[in-house]
Amino acid sequence: MILSRYSLLLAALVGTMPLTACENAPSTPTVRFDRQVNYGDAKGVELVTNEFGSSDLQMIAEKMTGSLLETGIFQGRPTVTISTVKNKTSEYIDTTNVMHSIQTALVKSGKVRFVRSINEMQSGVDELQRQNQSGLYKQNSTAKIGNMTAARYSMEGELTSIVKQTAATKDVYYKFTLKLFDVEEGTIEWQDEKEIRKTTRR
Amino acid sequence: MTLRSMLAIAATAWLALAGSAQAQYHDPATPPAVADKLFLTSDAKGVAVTEMRIQPKNGVLVVQADLLNMRHNERMVYYRFRWVDSAGNQVGDGESWKQLPLMGMGRQTVKGVSPSSEANDFQLEMNVDRPR
Repeated sequence: MILSRYSLLLAALVGTMPLTACENAPSTPTVRFDRQVNYGDAKGVELVTNEFGSSDLQMIAEKMTGSLLETGIFQGRPTVTISTVKNKTSEYIDTTNVMHSIQTALVKSGKVRFVRSINEMQSGVDELQRQNQSGLYKQNSTAKIGNMTAARYSMEGELTSIVKQTAATKDVYYKFTLKLFDVEEGTIEWQDEKEIRKTTRR
Repeated sequence: MTLRSMLAIAATAWLALAGSAQAQYHDPATPPAVADKLFLTSDAKGVAVTEMRIQPKNGVLVVQADLLNMRHNERMVYYRFRWVDSAGNQVGDGESWKQLPLMGMGRQTVKGVSPSSEANDFQLEMNVDRPR
């Protein structure tokens, strides 16, 4: 009777071991969900296809931000504006999104001030005109025209790609180049690039 | 050996197995000082972090870590830096995970720059997988 009780306990212990091993199986921070919907890790490595994706955008933004902060070019919190971002790949990519991620990280670092880009200027002008020309506001509360701060630096980017494909393999090489121009002098004060290689095998 | 002692050994072994699953499996080639800055979310699978260099530069922290694959087979390393302030709070939204193939017996250096001057410490989070 005692023997059978011990046997039962031993069997229960041994029985839970595979379960424990299964629960502790190593997992990786990837996004690979098949036929189900889940909230995934927005910072996970996205490997759904080899087209330009969220991980590429995040890696580019982090590399460029880190490189800019490391150089110390932003001593004295200079003003910067975003200029053009050329997409020279064969894919449709919203390249301004990359610049916005870089801008967000730099603004949060507190080391630089961004001024309105060309694309953002019209809404700023509209607001100034509304405050100064509509006659709706108290005079001492309106933002004055002619007090905008100009950018000392202009940020220009470019994304290129080289695609090679065989029946079994597709290789995509991306290169993002970012330049920081001194607006007054026209000189390149900083430049860096991020290379990404993505290979798919069938 | 009585059945009672056999059962005690089995229970101890099971508890050790369950407990070790929570422990950090650093590669023996990772120095203890480096291991303190490393947070593994998997077995190291033969990938050691042999050296870490930390340098304050223009108000931010710059970290370089040397990863070495001690095995002859390729490993896929996932990594990211986690930056914390003096109170131990995370600085920023957290970095994205990066994937890094590490060929057999190969070495790669990974680099991280803190997102602001608030960060004064960090951890390198790492996960190692065998390529599919």
